[in-house]
Amino acid sequence: MKFSKLTACGAFALFFAFLVSCEEKEAKTAEAKTSGYPRSETLYLAGSQWGEPNTFNPLVEPWLVAWPANDRFNLMYEPLTAYNSLTGSTEPILGTLVSYDAEKVVVDIQHEAKWSDGMPVTSKDVKFIYELGKRFPQAPTSYVGEFVSEIKVDTINDGVERLSFMVNKKERDNPLVILDQLQAIRIVPSHVFEKYLEENNGDFSAVKKIKCDERPIVSGPYTLAQYNNERIVLVRRDDYWGNKVLHDGALPVPKYIIHPIFKNNDAFAINLQKGDLDASMNYIPRVNEKKKDAVNTWYDAPPYFVPGSMHFLFLNNTKAPLNDKKFRRAMAAAIDYDAISRLALSNYAPKMKPGLIMPEGLEKKFYNEEEVSKHSVPLGDKEYAKKLLAEAGYKAGFDDKGNLKYSLGPKGDTLPTLLIKAPAGWSDWEAIVNLVVKHLRSVGIDVREGFVDGSQYWPALPAGEFDIIMRKPPVAVTASLPWNRFNAVMSARNWVAVGEGSMNENEGRYKNKRADELLDKIPLLLENEEALKSAYIELNNIFLDDQPVIPVCHLPEEYYQFSEKRWTGWPTDKNPFAPPQLPWVGSGINTLWRLKQVK
Amino acid sequence: MFKLLKNLIKEPMFVIGSVLFLTTIFAGLLGPFFYTAAPEGMSYETPSSQYWLGTDNLGQDYVALLLKGLQNSLYVGFMAGIIATTVGTLIGLFGGFKGGIVDDILNMFTNLFIVIPSFVVLVLVSASWPEGRSLTLIAVLIGLTTWPWTARSVRAQAASLRGRDHISLARINGATNLEIIFKHILPYLASYVFMVFIMQVASGILSESAISMIGLGPIGEGSTSLGVILNTAKNNSAITYGYWWGIFPAAIVITVIVFALYLLNNSMEGVFNPRLRK
Repeated sequence: MKFSKLTACGAFALFFAFLVSCEEKEAKTAEAKTSGYPRSETLYLAGSQWGEPNTFNPLVEPWLVAWPANDRFNLMYEPLTAYNSLTGSTEPILGTLVSYDAEKVVVDIQHEAKWSDGMPVTSKDVKFIYELGKRFPQAPTSYVGEFVSEIKVDTINDGVERLSFMVNKKERDNPLVILDQLQAIRIVPSHVFEKYLEENNGDFSAVKKIKCDERPIVSGPYTLAQYNNERIVLVRRDDYWGNKVLHDGALPVPKYIIHPIFKNNDAFAINLQKGDLDASMNYIPRVNEKKKDAVNTWYDAPPYFVPGSMHFLFLNNTKAPLNDKKFRRAMAAAIDYDAISRLALSNYAPKMKPGLIMPEGLEKKFYNEEEVSKHSVPLGDKEYAKKLLAEAGYKAGFDDKGNLKYSLGPKGDTLPTLLIKAPAGWSDWEAIVNLVVKHLRSVGIDVREGFVDGSQYWPALPAGEFDIIMRKPPVAVTASLPWNRFNAVMSARNWVAVGEGSMNENEGRYKNKRADELLDKIPLLLENEEALKSAYIELNNIFLDDQPVIPVCHLPEEYYQFSEKRWTGWPTDKNPFAPPQLPWVGSGINTLWRLKQVK
Repeated sequence: MFKLLKNLIKEPMFVIGSVLFLTTIFAGLLGPFFYTAAPEGMSYETPSSQYWLGTDNLGQDYVALLLKGLQNSLYVGFMAGIIATTVGTLIGLFGGFKGGIVDDILNMFTNLFIVIPSFVVLVLVSASWPEGRSLTLIAVLIGLTTWPWTARSVRAQAASLRGRDHISLARINGATNLEIIFKHILPYLASYVFMVFIMQVASGILSESAISMIGLGPIGEGSTSLGVILNTAKNNSAITYGYWWGIFPAAIVITVIVFALYLLNNSMEGVFNPRLRK
């Protein structure tokens, strides 16, 4: 009997311990609550968090940090400014952009900006995060020193602090990147993190271990309420300083924002259709078929989304026959880009135009149709591709069914089968690769699909261990477009041979001295529109002549799709008050003040 | 032989299995030559008079894909079946007939392959072959990983025959081991080996479907198989989006083939096995 009582007590204790261990993590905020969240006051957004949240510490490497303390999300921690990808303007958040030139970028800090503990946001906070790399080389913002030599602080009218980000002339000499960083680097409370550093005797790696998930001190309109492995919950801060300064005293409409953590892409489509998810940024095929379920996009008709990024086939420019520009140009000509948009991308990509400058939107002013047609191969012209290959001495043989049998180089040597690497299971990229293989083989270029696991795909990119690889460079729609796109595919600044090191841009190892000169020159031409335009045209011409990579489609930076079952008032092309972004980055956040509940 | 066939035809299971299997064989072998694929359409077009079973994600006519896939899956199944049955039968025959150390070594080798999960080996080898994964390669891989059960069962049968009078008589008459195995043991096991072969074909088709379903199947022009069709549908969330024609026809065809082979095997066992014979 004694034994059974003891056993029962033990079992109860174990059960209790189990329950305690399973308890949902709750941030100790004033508004935190453990019960459910009223659907009418809750906005469900998804697409950024895939796994269990690890940490909310903004000083940790972004890929390890949970939403919304990672990347460019400005719901909790805010940057100085926000870029409006629709208008090209820089909108104020913690700071207001005053001016920029080749020497410096000037920003005024919002005098009224406050942290959630009531302390003012000051230049000290800005300098803390921008100059953290000087103190700790492993800080996520350590690269800033290459671009900013010094941040000068002046006090102007009414105690407003004016910051001058001095361009580091000796290193990158690039004010464009500083403009990008104004919206990319979120300011953190220096008084909090200095205290953490002090408590840990200046040990930065010890500070990185702090999760920052209990009463985080933030400046943004929302703060962390709860999180577990199924969702992250943010609660509105009714005392957010920006309501008065930036939004005429109004509050963001949703009281709660919940990011459900889905394990696969299907969940996004299903939940959007059911109305359990209000907006998502993930690729959902044939989104037009979901309109009957109140799922909408920026445009009602194709391409449905606003193009902002290019997806490429990166070519290994150091390997034969891909080191032959005639061969690369023939590849670009052979691909049927219309078929890619129609079959692989549900018509989300507009009609493909050659080059690295998008012929629409903010980049349109740099696009010169005449120059492009002079330098480009005709796209989707198989006969032209065959002619180019024949002129360059390449030969191919086909069987009676039209299947490629062999492919010979100019010296009569059998060409190797080129593999197009892409992550297995990424259905849109797999479909693109399938079509590209079909198109290229039909003109005599021996290529094959090489779908590999992520663990093989990601390391192969910087190492250059590929023949051809599908790639979307991490180029955000920012003030520096299209310069940052050219830089990502053509810059030989950090060129190293395959096998001798990694490259995080121009992974195809292209080299062109004049292109590098132009990439250095363009950021300094900000005030000279004509010179800037002619530099871009020249750079685009070099790209078209050499074709170091092949752009396969223009797609949105973010698949902005929303459900109108619970919330209306989303920005669209008919009501473009905010750019086509989920209300969590850039000036897309303004949507939060304009949403309306469906009664 | 004629009597056996007569007995088999009396079995309803055999008749149904044969009709189903011959239908798939004819469809697979002749279908691609008689059916002209409709021109490329849009992604996942619904079944219509132009596209009887709709289109896939790349706008290809599903009927044409299904016929080609059936042909290729049957090729892989038969090829894998022949390899697995041949290897398994030879190892089983020699082990069972010779006994002693030869049997011990072959048995250990067989057991070793049995304890290593064949599907895992199949996955690992396929994954390490990113280029040129042809239908033949997949068939060979399947054949070389699925022979142990054949070897084990043939060994048991061969061992039971070893001590029979006619074997001893052949030995006294100076027959070599090879002669005894192929002239005096194998004919006794022919019906059994044939039934094993049927199940190996079914297993080959299922293995190919499984390996292709996880994206490690054959790649290259004209190498569509039933598993590749299912993999494409899975990757494009065909079920989620209601594109049933991407999944069900291929799944049904696989089921029909395997079911037909199972019926054939079962009916043959009922005729060939004296204990089960009615």
